[in-house]
This record gives sequence, C-alpha cells and structure tokens, in this order.
Amino acid sequence: MTVRDPLTGLTGFTDIIGPLGTLAEPPFKIPETVEELRYFLQAALALEHLTIPPYLTAMYTLKPGANQEARYAIRAVVLEEMLHMTLVANLLNAVGGQPVVADPDFMTDYPARLPYAKDPVPIALRHFSREALRTFLWIERPEYLADLPGRGGPDPRGWSSIGQFYATVRQGVIDLAGRHPDLFSGEASRQIGPEDFYNSGGMVFPVTDLDSALKAIEVIAEQGEGVAETIYNPDDRLFGQTREIAHYFRFTEIYEQRRYGPHDTPFSGPTGPAMPVCWADAYPIDPTATAEQYPPGSQVRVAADRFNTVYARLLWLLELAYNGEPKRLQAAVPVMLELRDLAEQLYRNPHPDPEKAARGIHASATYEITGVELTRAKAELDAGIGSAALLAVLS
Amino acid sequence: MTTGVPLTASVLADAATPDLPPPAPPAEDVDRFVALSVPLTGFDTFELYGTGMAECYLRATVEQLGEQAYRQFQGALAAVGLDPAQLTDPVDRDIARAVTHLWYLGIWPPLSADVHAELRRQMANTAFTVAPEAYVQGLVWQTFHGHPQGAKAPGFGTWAVPPPGEPELPPSAAPSGGPGHQPGGAA
Amino acid sequence: MSPAREVDGHRYDVIVVGAGPAGTLVAKRLGDQGWRVLVLEAGTRTLDTWPGHLDAMNTFYSSLIKVPNSPYRANTAAPSPNVLDTVPGKDGGYRAVGYLVQNGALPYGTDYVRADGGTFLHWLGLTPRMLPEDFKVRTDYGYGRDWPLGYDDLQPYYCEAEREIGVAGDAAEQAEAIGLPFPEGYVFPMHEIPSSYVDRVMARELNGKSVTDPVAGRQVPLRVVNTPHGRNSTPNPDYDHGRGYRPVGAAGLPNYGERCVGNASCTPICPVQAKYNPLKTQARWSPKVTLVDRAVVSRVLVGENGRVTGVEYQAYDDPAAPVATTHTVEARIVVLAAHAIENARLLLASEAANSSDQVGRNLMDHPVMLTWGLMPGQVGPFRGPGSTSAFENFRKGDSRKKHAPWRLVIANWGWTWTAGSPGSDVAAKLGIPASATDPRGDAVYGQRLREELGHDIGRQIAFQFELEQDAESRNQVTLDPKYRDGLGNCRPVLTYDLSDHVKEGMRAATDVSHQIFGLLGADERTAYSPDTPSYFRYRDEPFTFFGAGHGAGTHVMGDNARTSVVDQWQRSWDHANLYLVGCGSMPSMGTANPSLTMAALALRSVDQIHRDLMDLHRPLVVRPVPLGGDTHPTEVRP
Repeated sequence: MTVRDPLTGLTGFTDIIGPLGTLAEPPFKIPETVEELRYFLQAALALEHLTIPPYLTAMYTLKPGANQEARYAIRAVVLEEMLHMTLVANLLNAVGGQPVVADPDFMTDYPARLPYAKDPVPIALRHFSREALRTFLWIERPEYLADLPGRGGPDPRGWSSIGQFYATVRQGVIDLAGRHPDLFSGEASRQIGPEDFYNSGGMVFPVTDLDSALKAIEVIAEQGEGVAETIYNPDDRLFGQTREIAHYFRFTEIYEQRRYGPHDTPFSGPTGPAMPVCWADAYPIDPTATAEQYPPGSQVRVAADRFNTVYARLLWLLELAYNGEPKRLQAAVPVMLELRDLAEQLYRNPHPDPEKAARGIHASATYEITGVELTRAKAELDAGIGSAALLAVLS
Repeated sequence: MTTGVPLTASVLADAATPDLPPPAPPAEDVDRFVALSVPLTGFDTFELYGTGMAECYLRATVEQLGEQAYRQFQGALAAVGLDPAQLTDPVDRDIARAVTHLWYLGIWPPLSADVHAELRRQMANTAFTVAPEAYVQGLVWQTFHGHPQGAKAPGFGTWAVPPPGEPELPPSAAPSGGPGHQPGGAA
Repeated sequence: MSPAREVDGHRYDVIVVGAGPAGTLVAKRLGDQGWRVLVLEAGTRTLDTWPGHLDAMNTFYSSLIKVPNSPYRANTAAPSPNVLDTVPGKDGGYRAVGYLVQNGALPYGTDYVRADGGTFLHWLGLTPRMLPEDFKVRTDYGYGRDWPLGYDDLQPYYCEAEREIGVAGDAAEQAEAIGLPFPEGYVFPMHEIPSSYVDRVMARELNGKSVTDPVAGRQVPLRVVNTPHGRNSTPNPDYDHGRGYRPVGAAGLPNYGERCVGNASCTPICPVQAKYNPLKTQARWSPKVTLVDRAVVSRVLVGENGRVTGVEYQAYDDPAAPVATTHTVEARIVVLAAHAIENARLLLASEAANSSDQVGRNLMDHPVMLTWGLMPGQVGPFRGPGSTSAFENFRKGDSRKKHAPWRLVIANWGWTWTAGSPGSDVAAKLGIPASATDPRGDAVYGQRLREELGHDIGRQIAFQFELEQDAESRNQVTLDPKYRDGLGNCRPVLTYDLSDHVKEGMRAATDVSHQIFGLLGADERTAYSPDTPSYFRYRDEPFTFFGAGHGAGTHVMGDNARTSVVDQWQRSWDHANLYLVGCGSMPSMGTANPSLTMAALALRSVDQIHRDLMDLHRPLVVRPVPLGGDTHPTEVRP
C-alpha cells in the first residue's frame, strides 16, 4: 500500500498488504437532529480511542530507560487523547446520549484505515520507529482548509480530514443549540469532573451548555493540531497552564530529532535544539501480529490473551464511568498501569516463531477485543476482580 | 570564567560521559543465559525476558567472571541437571548466588574474597547496580506482588487494596462516641 | 558569568538565605506583595528542570543503599550530611565520618539537603498539626521550653500553609480523634490519602482495644487515624467555601503528578512530584523574586547600629571544585532560612544574634525508635506513601510528666528502614554475608526462593515511635576552626545526647510495642544490635534510634531577649531587621512532623516582615506645632 504524505512528500507503509479495519463514519453532512448529533459524537468517541493503541505501542516498545524525551512526549499525547475521549463522553451525555465503549464494534482491527481521510492510510500498531511517527503525523495532521459539508442532505464530496469532522460537529452543535433550548439537558451526575480524572493534560470539565460544549470541541481539535497556524495547543489560554505544543508538532520533533524553537511556525519546521532519539532502542514488532499467530498454550500466547482481556476490562470501566458511575474512572488508571506492565513484558520477549525471532522480531500486544474478551472481562469485573476493591476504598 | 580546576578532576565529568554501548551478545547466548537463570530464580523464561534485562545481565556476568569461568559455570550447572543446590565447587556456588542476586535486585554482589581471588579478575570485588533500569526490573518485588519503590507505580489508592489472596476488609466502625467516621473513608 | 557573581553589590528589599521550604514560601509571599527579594541558595538548582529530576531518579535507582540523600549529587562546595555518616566505633559507640563533626554521647542521625528545594526534596510529606498542649510543655509538664505563642495564634497560618503545600486529609477526623481545633466548617484542600491495607489490618485488629503504659501507669486506647499529607489526592470541591482546589503538578513537566500514584518512594524522591516540593512554589514566584544558586552565604554583615546591612557570600561554578570568589549584597531585611543547623552555623560564624548565648543550643530532632515483626498473613507492604496512618493517643496527656510522648507511626514499607529490606532478605536467602571475607551460607534457589521471599516480605510490618525531644542547652551546634569544609567555612560541630525523659519514653514505648505485637498475633523480630552507631543501654535494656530528619531548636523563640534568640515573629532580639526562620525557632516540637508548623511560622513571619518594610518605607510627616508652645516640632508616624 503506497500513500504519499502531502506535508512531507514521503511515501511509505508498503509493509501493510492485507485489508484494513474500518471505523464506521457518519454521512458527510452537518448533523441536523439531536439523534444525528449523538451518532456523530459516538463516532468521535471511537475516533479518539482509535489513536490510543498505536501511541501506547510506540511508547511501551521502548527499551527500559531509553529515549526518555520521546517517551514523555508520547505519554503526554496519550493522556490528552484520554482527556478528549472523556470530554466527548461528557458532551454526548450533555445532549442526552449514552456513550458506548464496551462493544466489539467500538474498536476496529489494526491495521486500521485512517478515518475521515481520502487516502487509505494504514494505522498500524508499530514499535517506536520512523514509520510509527509518520503514522502519528498522519493522524494529527493540521487541516487549515476545513470545508464543511453543505446543509440539507449528504454531500457527495465525502470526508477529507479529522479536523473537518470536528468542525462539522461544532457547526451541528451550534445549529442545534439555536433550535433546541433544552439541548443540554443531560443529567449532571453523568458528567466526569476533575475529582475523578487526573493527570489529564488540561482539566476535564463538565459540559452543561453551549459554551462548555464549544470549549470541549476546541480542546480536542487544538491539542492535536495546534491553535490555528501555530505550533501551540490552547492549554495556556483555556487552563492557565504553561504553553505546550500540539500533538502534530510534538511528533514532528521526534521524527526530525529536533525541537521547535521559540520563533518556529508550522511552516518553518523545527529549528531548535537537537533532540536525542535512538531508533535502535526499541523492540521491533510485527505490525500485523495477531494473538492467533502465537502457539496455543505458549507463554506469549497466554500473555497476549491476558492483555486483551485486561484491555476489555478497561473498556468496561470506561463504559461504566461514562454511564453514570464517574468514580469508575479512578479504577481505570490502575488498569492502564497493569496494561503497561503486561505489554512491556510481551515486547521484551522474542517472537515465538523462530524465523521471526531470528530477524529480531519480538512478541506484541495485539489489541484484539472481541465479544469473547468483553464477556470474560465483564465476568471478572462482576466477580470483583480489578475494580471492586479499589472502588470500595475510594468511595 | 572557570574555576581553574581541570574538568578531568571532576567526578561529575565522568558521569556525564557514558560508555559506548557494547555490542549485543548473540541471541543464542542470551537464550542459554535465560534458560540457566530459570532454575536459579524460579521465574520462567517469559518473565525473565519480560524484564528486558537479559542481555544486560549476561554482559555484566561475563564481564565480572570472565568468559572462561562463565562457560565453566554453565557446564557445571548443566551437569547437575540444572539444580543449583547440587553444585559443589565453591566458585560455581558463588556464581549461582551472584547471578540470582543480580536478577532479584539488579545488583551484582561482591563474590566471596577467595572466589574473587581465584577468578583473577582486574575489577574490584564490590557491589554495584548494573544499570538504573536494573533496579527497576528486580524480581524480588514480584515475589510479594509489589513493585519497585520509585517505579512502576500501580495507581492512586491501590495501596489500600488487599494483596492477592487476602480478604477485603469491611470499613471499620468508629470507636464509640465518634460521628461515624471511618479511618480511610472519604469525607 | 555565574549569576551569583552578577548580583555582587546590589541592594534588595529582602535577602532570603536558603531556597528550601521556608525560604521559598517567604520569598513567594514577599514577592507577591511587590518587594524585591533575592534568594541565595548554597547548592545547585539542577532539580528544577525535568532532565535534572530524571538525573536524580537515575542516581536513586543506581544507589546501592537507598537513603534520603541518595538521589542528590555530592557537592564539595556546599556539602550535605548523610544518614550514613555515623558508623560504628572501633570499641563500641559511633564515629562521625561526614560533613557534621560530632562529639556527643550519642550520634545525631539527621541529614538535610543543601540544594534548591532543600530538605523538602526528600521529606516524607506528612503534615500533622502540633497539638494545642504542645506549646507549653514547661508549664504543664515540667520539661523543655514553652512557646511565646499558642495554637490559636498559628491557626490562620496553619490554614494558609495547608493551602500552599496542598494538604490532603480528613479534618473532621483530625478534630474528632485528636481534638485539634479547626475553623468552623474547615476542610483540607484535598480528601485524605487512602489508608493502606496495612493500616486497615491494624484498625481491624486493634481499634477499640487498649495497651498499658507501664511508666506512666495508664491505659491508652488504640485507634488508627489517617494522617494529613502534603501530597496530591482527590480535590475537595467544598474547600475554600466551595471554590475547590486545583492540585499542583510537577515542576518542569506539565500535567504530571496531579495525584499520588503510589510509587512508594516519597523519601527520597517522588518520581511524579505528586508530593509537594518548594520547586512548585518557585514556579509561581513573582518576577520580583530572583533566585541565585551556588552562592554560599559565609557571613551576616552587621552595621554599627546593630542593624544587619546584608550578607557576604561565596560564588562557585563547579560543585565538584571547592573554589569560589567572595562577594557582598545588601538588603533592608535579611532572612536566614538555611536549616536549623546551617542557620546556627552562620550566626556563630558571624558572631551575630547571640547575646543570649542560646545560638546553636537546644538542638533537637525526633529520635525514632523502630520495632518490627511479621504478621500472620500477607499485608501488602512497600505500597503507597511511607506512612498513611498513626496511633495518635500517645502524643498527649499527663504521662508527659513521666516520659517523652511519641507519635506511633505505622510504616507502610516493611522493614526497609529497620533492616534494609528487601535487599537484605534476598542476600540472606542466598547466603551472601555483609562482608566478602565472611563465610557464605547455604543458598535457596528457584521456586522455593521465590515463594519463601514472597511469604516473608509480604508479611513485614514496622512501627516508628517518633519521640518528642526536650530542648536542652547542652545539645548544641558549635564551631571549631580546626574543622572546615572545601570553601574554608567552619563545619558544624554537634554535641548531642538524649535526656532521661526521652529514654523513659523509649522504655515505655518498648513495652507498648510488645503489647501491640501480641494483640496483632505478630511475630516480633525487633533486635537492637551493638553494631548500630546509636546503640545504648538504659536501665539494663538495649536501645537504638534513628534521626527523623527533623533538625530543630538552634535559635529558639521566646518572650525575652535574655533567654531566647528570636521573638514570636522569628525576629532576632539583637538585630531588628534579621529574621531566622525554620525549625530552628521551635522551642519544643511536640510529636508532629515539623514541616507544616515550620511553614505556618514562616507565613506568620512574612506578615511582620511586610509590616517592618512598610515602616521603613513610610514617609515622614512633619506636623505644624501651634505657635507659642514650648514643644519642638515632632516627627510623627501616621
């Protein structure tokens, strides 16, 4: 599969040959009813989640203690994606929706096709590498020309960027708020606040009216792409924090191994100090690996299956947290940390296939969450594993 | 302006110039090292590789012992059916202790003075942490379902949860006269 | 050119000596009020950037013995004491081998950090308040020294300090279980840090039971009480009359450390900086505050009228090279906030503030007596903050007349302090002795090694009896020109001992500890070795103790100039524009970890410093005097 990146002019991703998983996209139109808006917001929730596994994969394939600057940069982005997910859930709850997370259709298979894009860009689970960073740049690519779809029926042109999708959601929210004075009548108790969500990359805040709804959309769009035609995100303005650069530009720094300087713009590229990056200090993995490829009963297979079940538990905790039990979010953090330890163990083990191991390929977490994993995780949760004890002491 | 003291006199200058990374040992050697470490540590292959430290520990071990003593140890352990308790030679016995100590704590321990003399190594016989990450990856923490102090933090509030196999505790009632406050319970 | 040399000859409103917790808070408040403040820090400021913090983390990971100063690099120009500096003597007793020279009957085992952020870089982060009765121990219990102020005077400043530090706790429980007064409806900025499983097991086994204090002859009820922390927890929306609180994250990395994640290494370093440190406050300093590091103040300069004119300091570049150039800088008011021992050292070297002959005297600490054992079941040690709860009932009451009170702290980190666990457990199972020349023992390997270690380490518990030490003039810091540091400054010479009042406390504590282990059904393993530097015998029983890191009492406050060094504002009786802030001003410490009280005192001093500065700035008003009178025109201050 060959894709040319219009910004860098580079082609690549030729190692991904098979079909790509796809995320359901709403029709290319401005949502016109509250029902349609909820559908768009549910799609946004899945979109925000889509980015998390690839970012975690890059971060956790780093060798112990290596590439610290890159590790912290990716970590910061992951946290902001989690913030985005939670803000989308707040928005969806504010308009009376019910976020769905623990559902086989919530996640797509990887490699997945980049949603809301014209080109078939594969989003694969890659170890920390130039290819991984180029994937991330595709995901976070700023879209300065966001033509909105026309009103009144689907527009045949189709989606062209994630930025365009959020601009469309934003327009829909404004339109609907004008027509429905009670648009934001969702139950306040379903909103996630700063008590339950920490280290959040900006503060999570409840969505209760048009202003907070628009602020949420602004955070989501600008933490990724930057405030219009700058490299910075809006946190200093919105949260009174120190100025930070947006995701796309953080990833550019790693890719170019150079930081942005104080006068740099999106068009100048980074001209600041060199940033030490060692591409060799990561465990290479197969971006198309599936748990099934690991021999049944092998330690790697057991661990890969375990990872998927624990990830399913995370999805359940998010589902519950977003549906009236905000406290569950506190229990989700230890699960994230457990996933970190499980994933790192996998990446540090040679691939069970001797031929792949000989090529230096390592085992990996595959993020394959189906109904099987979700059912198993739900049973574990109901039996009190992984959350009940913590909730008991936190509440 | 400088202080007039040459930088080479500075302990900090040494710390700032890390050694070049040594070449990675062949994968078969790492496999063999991990295999002999299983009976020493009681951790399986997956768990040992899962620390990410196998290569680093093999290098440190060979550097401390010398190639020859390490090979001899490998052979001796194989000869007793990978049961370290059956080792009889004092050198092999001390190597078994040291390698296990390394896996459990990330620290190469001092060998017995006699063994160190017999190995005729140039380096001093002192304990050292082989790498900052080695401390973090020590196996000892896993023996009691813990995590190394200062790393792999398990998340807010997790310290209140029972360790595996222990009962959840009911919130204890306040002593008589109190307004129902529970130690550890949120206000 | 180093910034330390650039400020040579400049003049400020206030010079603060020391960028630790007290100095940082003083500078913050004065800077916010618009005063020009210069902060001189003897050590480096490596840690106020994230790479500097990561360097400290790696230094900590690599250190073989993880003591409070392990993460912080050595500095020959501004050396720090280390808890490893007292070693067993050749024929019993101890020998001091580090920065502190010691000649007392017992070793002073407390360290501090000379670097930006000060000893708060490695504080445990506990913020209990002192009890109202702690302020007049001489009057009520016949030992130590009284304060010239009381709990009520500190109340508003305690609240302010709890805001600045960001305290997590349950104020209602503190009020009900300990009897601490709080303002009506007061809550801490954040909900309490959850009590550990160890605490909860203790509560299950011990709450509602009691033990006998054999020395005082009284029954003491047992109750596990959650401790307030200077550590980020869940913000309490009710704080500040419903305005809530936003936790302050790490210095140098955004969105980090907004909540404790249980790294279990508060001392020596919080990896995420969820624990308060002064670098967080410094990040919010006004531009009126200038921090200059690598500036070792060597003398307080006193003018002819007794007023202080400024300080002399030594500027150095390389912490590995003990060479410096000497400079002076001037200010209207000078604040020494360099640590109790360093403040005393500086005053003695300057021959200042000592008309009472009390400078350096009344050196205190909280001597810590440790006891330890194995619980019948797994308790999950080495998790969470170092301690999350304590038994508070031993802190108060008439038994203080008989022996020193203590705070009975439940340790969460197994035998890490008492026995060097878990490293020592591994070495023991493998038969590796402390010395390479000692005979090796039999080793346990494989699954058995793994299981036995897990079985034992997972049951480790320890108690820390943190005793109040009474102020005694014989415990003191002096100088001897024979002993100097790399820059030629006199090193502190310590003379230290424990009073019988404290030793009686340890005797009572030993018995109480036995009773508690009995009630827990635990296997007590406490053993005091003559090889421990602090080993001593008292009434035929062996004891050892450790420093708590709570150095205090070297420039005590009082209500008159003849018997104390500073007044209730921590202002020198001898020099009206010299303030000595920090634990050195405390005439008694009670049994609370002193950091919060120190912060409250510092904030209280700021109010007086501000008033002093306003007075110095106030214009003279010349009022006309009616003609014909025989008075002279008078200057009147409005």
